[in-house]
Amino acid sequence: MQLIDHSNNSKSKTVGRALAAATCALLGVHATGSLAKGQPGEWDVETALLVYSETDDRVQAAEPVISATRNFDGERKLNLKLVADTLTGASPSGATPSALPQTYTSPSGNGSYEIAPGEAPLDDTFKDTRVAVSANWEAPINRDYAYSVGAYGSKEYDYLSTAVNASLSRYLNNKNTTLTGGLSLGVDLVDPVGGAPVGLSRMPLNNNKSQADFDQEFAATRDSDDTKTMVDALFGVTQVINRQTLMQFNYGISYSSGYLTDPYKILSVIDDASGSNYGGNLVGGDGNPVYLYEQRPDTRLKHSLYWQTKYMLGNGDVMDGSYRFMIDDWGITSHTLDLKYRWQLGKSYLEPHFRYYLQSEADFYKRYLTASEYNSGAPVMTDASADYRLGEMTGLTFGAKWGYRFDDDRELAIRAEYLIQTNDGDQGFGSLASQDLYPDTNAMWLQLSYSF
Amino acid sequence: MNTITVSAKDNPAGHPLPQLRGGQLSWQGRFEAMASPCEILLDGVNRRDAEQALAFAARETWRLERTFSRYVSGNPVDRINRGKGEPVTVDDEMALMLDYAAQCHDLSDGRFDITSGVLRRAWRFDGSSHLPEQEETDALLDLVGWDKLSWQRPQLILPEGMEIDFGGIGKEYAVDRVLLDLKQSLPEGSSVLVNFGGDLACSGPRTSGKAWIVGVEDHQKLSGRSGTLSLYCGALATSGDSRRYLLKNGVRYSHILDPRTGWPVPDAPHSVTVAAPTCTLAGMLATFAMLEGAEAEHFLEQQDVQFWVQR
Amino acid sequence: MPDSRLFYRPLRQAQRVLMPIAFLAATLLTAGCSNLGVKPWERDLLANPDMQLTVSGVDAGLDDHIYFSKEASSGGRGFGGGGCGCN
Repeated sequence: MQLIDHSNNSKSKTVGRALAAATCALLGVHATGSLAKGQPGEWDVETALLVYSETDDRVQAAEPVISATRNFDGERKLNLKLVADTLTGASPSGATPSALPQTYTSPSGNGSYEIAPGEAPLDDTFKDTRVAVSANWEAPINRDYAYSVGAYGSKEYDYLSTAVNASLSRYLNNKNTTLTGGLSLGVDLVDPVGGAPVGLSRMPLNNNKSQADFDQEFAATRDSDDTKTMVDALFGVTQVINRQTLMQFNYGISYSSGYLTDPYKILSVIDDASGSNYGGNLVGGDGNPVYLYEQRPDTRLKHSLYWQTKYMLGNGDVMDGSYRFMIDDWGITSHTLDLKYRWQLGKSYLEPHFRYYLQSEADFYKRYLTASEYNSGAPVMTDASADYRLGEMTGLTFGAKWGYRFDDDRELAIRAEYLIQTNDGDQGFGSLASQDLYPDTNAMWLQLSYSF
Repeated sequence: MNTITVSAKDNPAGHPLPQLRGGQLSWQGRFEAMASPCEILLDGVNRRDAEQALAFAARETWRLERTFSRYVSGNPVDRINRGKGEPVTVDDEMALMLDYAAQCHDLSDGRFDITSGVLRRAWRFDGSSHLPEQEETDALLDLVGWDKLSWQRPQLILPEGMEIDFGGIGKEYAVDRVLLDLKQSLPEGSSVLVNFGGDLACSGPRTSGKAWIVGVEDHQKLSGRSGTLSLYCGALATSGDSRRYLLKNGVRYSHILDPRTGWPVPDAPHSVTVAAPTCTLAGMLATFAMLEGAEAEHFLEQQDVQFWVQR
Repeated sequence: MPDSRLFYRPLRQAQRVLMPIAFLAATLLTAGCSNLGVKPWERDLLANPDMQLTVSGVDAGLDDHIYFSKEASSGGRGFGGGGCGCN
């Protein structure tokens, strides 16, 4: 079937189809007699449930979502969204595994947890529930301009996040080109369990000392709760290339400042003095291993470039590809490639999905600190973090979505994705080198959605 | 036969009151509007529902006539035409109609244009050979062109001297609007046919399952059958009137004007009749076909609709 | 609190390369854009809901949140996300 057919045949056909659609809009009815999706006066609702699970007893989450859009006359629309997620399970604390059993103090200071020899240190002392709401309003200003405004808020027991955003769009070339500029301002309040620890201070351990001494040590490592502010700006061009192709190019810049550290992550200090403990945990004055709370810089500036293309084939199948490049002043650069192919099968569709992610490590990323760097409590660096999410990483995601469309309004879909994340970096020395410092992270998620 | 009462408030034009005929569950209601005889055929409804349906249909049609007519002083169209270049705020119904007119203008490459009515000052299609001068039509072209006005919901700015005219959409839209409203308010299992002077639409076949038989004007001579047409569902609309034309030096000038030139579309058919799911669509397809001139049949062949072209 | 480092050296180097490219791309785009595109009656395929840049806001939101909590990058496509304690 020829698509790029400039003969009068296909033009007449498309004129007729467009006219039929315009007439339906005028009469406010779809050919079947029911109000079609997107008609003023109706709520279009999308509901979904996501179930997420990582291998090796790590994070498990369940996340219900409901998103409702109401269209008003004149291309104005309002969207309201509610998301809840319940999180259980453990995540890596940043410490390194050891040939000996390890004990860590839990974030509240009221308990501790043990990790067996050779096991990856995971902190699972908390379960969490988060609720997020957002609202967004879009409307045209006149023939050439449109705007949107939105607000967001989320709360979990140790974190409050709020943000507002606004954007302006300008249409050019008969609406074939759209220029968009947007700004977002956010403020987060961090109130960690046990209080935010002082960065690069030593994690107090209650072994070998009285409870009173431990409590005093714990109190000395605490800071007050803190805030984080974020300013994001986005500039984008959406361009219709031809009848089957649409592209978008975005440049984004994001600046955050305030408390950017993860209050629950730590670093192990490894003994680099020659002797029997070479490569093992450094033992401190109280006979316990030395672990430090991490510390990240208090500002971060990110730049991103994003390019997306959508292409419809002759048979109605749609290809969707995007590439994102990110670079920031923490020394991280990343590349993200995302490909989808929607295969139309009559009333249903099947959409396989592939994503490739590559990230370089942050400047202050250290899998562990050496005793020399620790310098008996006066570390030589100002920032250090062993959070694997700031390290060298490759992520491969394979997934597929199957959807069934009952009619123009109602669709049922099921989506499954599988992520394989591998990390790399400094392999350690001495007895540390025989530990697995970079275990893979494998996660799977399944989503069931229904829209009406 | 009985006369249906409609208050004077709903009938300021003073049309004769609607008449209802029939019995059992089959009714025929008649009234006048938009310079055409209007007919509502009802099947599967009792007398009381038929009376209410006819009263409603008459009131709604007269309301649409008042709203979209060029001749009613003070109505939205009149306020726009007398706007003298000032912005006029319109309501949702008019806004939808203007959006539709804009889309039809785009889709027809500028041939369908509701601002082209002023050209009637130069053209009188009385079968004579009197053609206007090129200067006359060129001067009027300054006042024609959808691109010359500014439409941004809910405000319309029409430059002074220009006029908008919904003559090309109004009747078919009224047929669909009345049919949709009656379909919603009448009981399940009933069926309705709305016929405004040959532009008609029905909600489905008669309750017996048989088609509606529609009387058609003689001169249209559709598909060889004289005088009647069977309709199961959907709508029918006709563009053109073989009596309105000019004839000079053996060349026939149809009354379908191209707003880009100010002159008739060359080789336009005498009339085009289209069957489509709604009357508005049927009417607009017929109009588009007429505007295609010689390509009328070719255009309609691409549309998956039944059509009859008379040349 | 440690000093902040707004413009780390590699970033500045990358910026020297990136910024002119981004600017050039933007200029070329807006200059060349007037030749690209379709007429109003050719928008039938683009009007298909499957051709929206983000077909399902819910899917995109859920995935963005997952990747935000597992990686160091976020965003690129637009706003509408939001913070959480997960990163």
